[in-house]
Amino acid sequence: MNTRLLLFALAVFAAAPATDAATTILRGPYLQSATPTSLVIRWRTDTTEASVVSYGLERNALTSNTKAEGITAEHVVQLTNLKPGTRYHYTVGPVAVPPPTPATEKKSAAADAPPKNGVFSFVTPPVVGPAKPTRIWVLGDPGTKGKTQEAVRDVYYTFTGKKETDLWLMLGDNAYPDGTDADYQKAVFEMYPQTLRTAPLWPALGNHDAKSANSITQSGVYYDIFTLPTRAQAGGVMSGTEAYYSFDYANIHFICLDSHDSDRSAGGAMMQWLKADLAATQRDWIVAYFHHPTYTKGTHDSDKDSDSAGRMNDMRAIFLPVLEAGGVDLILTGHSHVYERSWLLDGHYGKSDTFAAAQHVKQTQDGRADGTGVYKKRRGRIPNAGEISVVTGSAGHAGSATKPPPLNHPAFFISLNEPGSFVIDVDGLKLDAVFLNDKGAKRDWFTIVKE
Amino acid sequence: MPRRAIFTLCCTLLGAASASAHPEIEAALGRLNARIAAAPTEAGAYIERGELYTRHEEWTAAEANFLVAAELAPAHPRLDRARGALALARGEPASARQMLDRAVAVSPTDHEARVLRARAAAALGDTAAAARDLAVVLDALPSPPPELILFHVGLLPPAAALVQLEAMMARVGPALVLQLRALEFEEATGRVDAALHRLGTLATQSERPETWIRRRGDLLSRHGRAAEARLAYAAALAAALALPDWLRTSPDTRQFIAELRPLVNPST
Repeated sequence: MNTRLLLFALAVFAAAPATDAATTILRGPYLQSATPTSLVIRWRTDTTEASVVSYGLERNALTSNTKAEGITAEHVVQLTNLKPGTRYHYTVGPVAVPPPTPATEKKSAAADAPPKNGVFSFVTPPVVGPAKPTRIWVLGDPGTKGKTQEAVRDVYYTFTGKKETDLWLMLGDNAYPDGTDADYQKAVFEMYPQTLRTAPLWPALGNHDAKSANSITQSGVYYDIFTLPTRAQAGGVMSGTEAYYSFDYANIHFICLDSHDSDRSAGGAMMQWLKADLAATQRDWIVAYFHHPTYTKGTHDSDKDSDSAGRMNDMRAIFLPVLEAGGVDLILTGHSHVYERSWLLDGHYGKSDTFAAAQHVKQTQDGRADGTGVYKKRRGRIPNAGEISVVTGSAGHAGSATKPPPLNHPAFFISLNEPGSFVIDVDGLKLDAVFLNDKGAKRDWFTIVKE
Repeated sequence: MPRRAIFTLCCTLLGAASASAHPEIEAALGRLNARIAAAPTEAGAYIERGELYTRHEEWTAAEANFLVAAELAPAHPRLDRARGALALARGEPASARQMLDRAVAVSPTDHEARVLRARAAAALGDTAAAARDLAVVLDALPSPPPELILFHVGLLPPAAALVQLEAMMARVGPALVLQLRALEFEEATGRVDAALHRLGTLATQSERPETWIRRRGDLLSRHGRAAEARLAYAAALAAALALPDWLRTSPDTRQFIAELRPLVNPST
């Protein structure tokens, strides 16, 4: 081996995930529970070993190390005392990366893109409150493990290009058919490795995930895989459970509800928490997300009491009034494998035959700058100022083409039986959203501006 | 398999199939049907199919599947829990309790079975038995959710409930719904100063302290401490007026301020 090759090998060794030669990373790394000053990094190895994250502000100088206690194959390391809105480079392994030498510094600075040598990066969320341009990727019912899921993913990757995803939401049914560990491995960890290691994922529980998880005992695959804030670590009010939680990102407050497994009664713990959480936030935007839609005429029918054991009814009749009174701007759901986007609505809590546009549509425009106009809302906590309900449950598959769903709920401005994902860009007091289908077409878009 | 059970199952499955039009149920049902066709004596598949029907409130079809599972493997560890859950969902707590007794006897660490048995016992008015089961589960779970904790303390007398709440909050953290329930118990047991202290802590931890400070005022007012109540209302008003313009001028904050002014100055 000549000197150049030797130096190159040393550089790669220094920058590679610091795992033993015999150890393989089976899953991750993936990012969880991000706050402006902390972040959880998780990964799985095929053998048990120590858990160390080496990180730093420069890719070739991973000078900080955090080690979790114990020897395990399921590695969970929490980084703390991070700087808000700052890019960190990191690698994971059983031992700390050795300090850089002049030779490794020179070589690793010239090396290829980070994923090739196991050094990745993330940007911590900014300080909570002030606005910061934010890109959010939303996937509803993605986990089919098939070509459609891949196509939807690839369209988004092409769409976003070099613009980074700040965070991503999964609206439940993240891994079909049963939400098992093997389902998650294929449908999530092998499907989105690059996004998992660069952007924090904030999931919701769907009915298929709940086949292998139990909210009341906080056990099972979903609860084992994800680390979610139970103590309001990322903002909001402390829920005490990973089943439902909230977090802040810049000037946005996100609320995740458990529409499947937790008590959905008006006097239940989730409702009490939601009311307090909504009352406490000072963010400009409030985005709520959960699995079961309040309205749909897709592959589910929100008019049928028996459909999904009444969960859609509960979310519409019990939770929607509280969300609207709390000033929620956007409600994201899945479950129905279609795309449906409402008008700017308020006060429609009954079946579709009780919908009255004159009563329930707050603004009649289409929400488009190139159409009949964007939605305009006043800044501040304005109860019942109108929300947009989006059912985006087709990131893994759409409804049958041969027996298409009716898609005729009058609350929706647009209804599509197409696979796709939903992208939100928040820039200060402006929120732009777009639905991208699996062919790369922008099939819906709208804007809300706060004044 | 006895003919009668097969006949019952076939009849009810036909009925259920027409009732369950949703494709996802049909897909899951299809997978289970295929599994059963390949291994018709596998009791676990019948139990799963019964549980699927239970989740979708197809009681008769669920029961028929459990019946077949019982014929095939009467001692299957999941069978009694599944049948207990079905009986509970159907509003038959006494029957549920019997099955869940057996389920817990077979698997004492089956937390779901214990929670179900606690629900059955509570429905039958046996709060002591329900509380015992929940105490076992709460001790065993690394991070019990608020729902379970609230269920448990709801079965206890207020003083004991308060002790239990404090113990659980020390373990899992002061989740808001637990604090709200603690406030109720504190007031019910005459521990007003403890409740005031708790409200003060909540106010200092909140981005919107004004609502908690107002609750202090309301509590003081309810207990005849009018002067202190006025001070609390004044502090709540000051906190609301200190909000940024865009929040202070929002309709709910304007209403909040309008409600507070006469409480601060009753003569006006």
